[in-house]
Amino acid sequence: MKKRGRGIACMWYPIGFTVAANPSAAVVKINEDGTATLLTGTVETGQGSLTILAQIVAQELGIATDDVHVVSADTDTTPMDTGAIASRTTYVTGNAARLAAEKAKQILFEVAAPVLGVKPSQLEVADHKIQVVGFPQRNMHIGDVSDRARGVNGQPPIGSASYNPATVALDAETGQGKPFATYVYATQIAEVDVDDETGEVDVLRIVASHDCGTPINPMLVEGQVEGGISMGVGFALEEEIMFDEHGRQRNPNLTNYIMPTSLDMPKIEVDIVDSYDPTGPFGAKGVGEPTCVSTAAAILNAIHDAVGVRVTSLPATAEKVHAAIKAKRAQEARQITAGAA
Amino acid sequence: MVEKKPAVIEKEAQKDALELLRAPAPAPLVPLPIEVLVPEARQQTPAVRQRATRSDARTHGLGQTKYIDDMYLPGMLFAKIKRAGVASARIVSVDTKEAEAMPGVVAVITGRDIPCNTFGPSLKDQPVLADERVFHAGDGVAAVAAVTEQIATEALEKIHVEYEPIEPVLDPLASLKLETPGLHAPSPNIYGHKVIKKGDVAKAFAESYRVFEGSFRTQMVEHVPLEPHSSLATWDPNGRVTIYSTLGRITLGRADISRTLGVPMSRVRIIATIVGGNFGGKNEITTEPVVALLSKKTGRPVKCTFTRPEEFMSSTTRHPLIMDYKTGVTKEGRILGRQIRLVLDGGAYCSWSETTLGKACILSAGPYKIDNLYAEAFVVYTNKTMTGAMRGFGAPQVCFAYESQMDDMAKALGIDPLEMRLMNALEEGSLSPTSQKLHSVVVKESLLQAAERFGWKNGNGSANGSANGSRT
Amino acid sequence: MAEVTMTVNGERRTAHVAPETTLLRMLRDELQLTGSKLGCDVGDCGACTVMVDGKSVNSCLMLAVQADGREVLTIEGLATKEQLHPLQQLFEEKGSLQCGFCGPGVLMSAKALLDENPDPTEPEIRDALAGNLCRCTGYTKMIEAIQAVAQLRHERPAAKSVA
Repeated sequence: MKKRGRGIACMWYPIGFTVAANPSAAVVKINEDGTATLLTGTVETGQGSLTILAQIVAQELGIATDDVHVVSADTDTTPMDTGAIASRTTYVTGNAARLAAEKAKQILFEVAAPVLGVKPSQLEVADHKIQVVGFPQRNMHIGDVSDRARGVNGQPPIGSASYNPATVALDAETGQGKPFATYVYATQIAEVDVDDETGEVDVLRIVASHDCGTPINPMLVEGQVEGGISMGVGFALEEEIMFDEHGRQRNPNLTNYIMPTSLDMPKIEVDIVDSYDPTGPFGAKGVGEPTCVSTAAAILNAIHDAVGVRVTSLPATAEKVHAAIKAKRAQEARQITAGAA
Repeated sequence: MVEKKPAVIEKEAQKDALELLRAPAPAPLVPLPIEVLVPEARQQTPAVRQRATRSDARTHGLGQTKYIDDMYLPGMLFAKIKRAGVASARIVSVDTKEAEAMPGVVAVITGRDIPCNTFGPSLKDQPVLADERVFHAGDGVAAVAAVTEQIATEALEKIHVEYEPIEPVLDPLASLKLETPGLHAPSPNIYGHKVIKKGDVAKAFAESYRVFEGSFRTQMVEHVPLEPHSSLATWDPNGRVTIYSTLGRITLGRADISRTLGVPMSRVRIIATIVGGNFGGKNEITTEPVVALLSKKTGRPVKCTFTRPEEFMSSTTRHPLIMDYKTGVTKEGRILGRQIRLVLDGGAYCSWSETTLGKACILSAGPYKIDNLYAEAFVVYTNKTMTGAMRGFGAPQVCFAYESQMDDMAKALGIDPLEMRLMNALEEGSLSPTSQKLHSVVVKESLLQAAERFGWKNGNGSANGSANGSRT
Repeated sequence: MAEVTMTVNGERRTAHVAPETTLLRMLRDELQLTGSKLGCDVGDCGACTVMVDGKSVNSCLMLAVQADGREVLTIEGLATKEQLHPLQQLFEEKGSLQCGFCGPGVLMSAKALLDENPDPTEPEIRDALAGNLCRCTGYTKMIEAIQAVAQLRHERPAAKSVA
């Protein structure tokens, strides 16, 4: 018989390395037509970092995402980056990219200011233009300014910057300190069906509410959450590297290491929590790892709700769940007998 | 007795094998729509918050993204690595003569050939190729470069390694006992330890209405990126090596190559392609120094791609954790104190264990206001696959523990699981377990938003359909 | 060495391969069609999915000699010089691919599905993709894109351009 259950799990997760310096450097070059190039040492591993870094630079310069070309991951030509790890790219590399774009933009402001008859501090960017704050009709196209910077002022608009999160070392005895600059928070709620005769768990639906600060690209955030949940489902119910008594893996292949297919995935609903982190680029924090943190907990709590058993080791395979159900029934039977006696 | 080598036959076989070095057929003209259609969202300003399509989405969809294994350089050789197959042993001898004599095999290297054979993101306890000791069954002990992948794989069988097995330690709790001879002696088995101490846990327990205890365990899992680890090395006449790699951290990668090969950083160029999934498993060198050395030895570009079994056995995995939680609460469900012990199975080498240890320990209390806390974490060596960085660095494991216990406590106290979490959740300005004042805190907001969407308060999905979902 | 001749993406191709060569290796190594990927080489992950005589197959499980004389369609044969295949178009719009490695295989499985069943239900879509492993996306946006293509064809049957 199938029993329905629901489980809730919330979590917190930090951005960046634990105390240790993990800087990122970036260079932004603005072309003579107002498009731009970003040089970054980070690596695109599928999470979409190159796209959102382009969005951050574009936002800073008042141009469109497609106007920014990103060159990445070459130790000869791109500045250093600590890497695509610890969910740090949006926050650390993003901050570095934004600062680099800001520096290049500053050169443009200094070139445009006398032409528009104002001080550089009176200028802003919007929609491919450099314009006077409060008087947008007084403007120049960003390409014209860039061209002028190079060809008249002799100052190519290039900005270079780096960023490292501010931390405080942890006390050796008490662990007290400031290990990370910022954290993200999330809740996932799972709805499952548990077959109380076989122990099989079907994850029907997961509602995920994730904080990432400002979502630079909501579509990519959703993609990360959906992917993280698939890893969480596998962690909760299916995946395990098994060893024999000699220490050799018994299932080093995809036939016997079971990971989620399209058939194992629940219906997923993603909401992004309204949040803003002033220390992040345009309020952004990060989202890569947090997405898979609370899934297993939510599913196991749902199993608990469905059939009243607490499985305390992962993965909660059908065998384990079934064995737990049997044990619970046996215990209940003993209690009834003891009560009757 | 001198074996008569049939010189004529061998020459023919060698010729056949070298024939395979010829360049493949020219790539066919693949029709690609050249007209650049830019999706709307990519043209919008301001750019932040746009649902912009990815810059690589089009090449992905066309199958035109070039991953390392799609790359071909003229004269390129293929490398494969021989794996130990034994979890713990001393290497007595490595005989590569038969492999070297195989037609089509151009070079063979062992641990002896690595100029500096230790590396690691923190502790430098990992060899490029095992030289004296094997610490897990996936350790590499030799590598072959040949004209085809098939020949390279066959050549591995012809490398004869003599092992003196040493009893492996597979249970982290056994390793935790200091009497166990240190796997990496003279280094201790417990190679990382962390404590977080705040307030007075004993006093908090004494004042609690009830103290709950729970023990939780998680398993070893693997990243399973669809693209296996891969790298391709080529040297120029100035002694500069260029390595195309799936590494997620090229600055560190360059430092590691510089160190292990004894080459200045200005002579090392690492280029990462668009990688087919990382999830933490591609954050340290694996094949890179091997291809670099084989390329130097053969004078040809050399590529090495992990097989799927190697992905499981010879790349890092997620730390299994043993977690003991003791939590004291008031009758209303407020957490007064929490005591945690974590034991991390640290595998054969340190890799990213120190980071995982630190994060697991800091995060173990959960996103809750807890004034009295004692969390202690250990990481120990075992003779199993090395455990390293995997999406979450210990967070998925401890979240499973603290959220499971939260529900257990809620049930015992007759409180709705959502209410109990809201009661204890961190807030703006709360102090973390390390007494850090937190900003941009939205735990409660995420709880309420998810509950709203799910229909939690309406009893949606609950076992007995009751409004608050709890059973007394 | 065996000589194999097949039609690949509408073009007649011949190659000389060792008899044990898989169709996948022939496509990748001999014909330089690297869109089909090697993820496991034993038919577990689907990254090598291509279509042979109109049916989707794991090309790592088929010998090149078995494809002799047959029609093979790979990812490189989906688009034309004028336009992307609707599946490629919608996958791009919906953000269905992340690292992209499983993409060609998934797209071929999706095409095979829609060729046979132009209006699939969600369970039918999930079933069609069950042999394609993806670690990045959770499959959600792939399913949305495939549904969108089916919807498009429903609305504009004339738009069913590429065979």
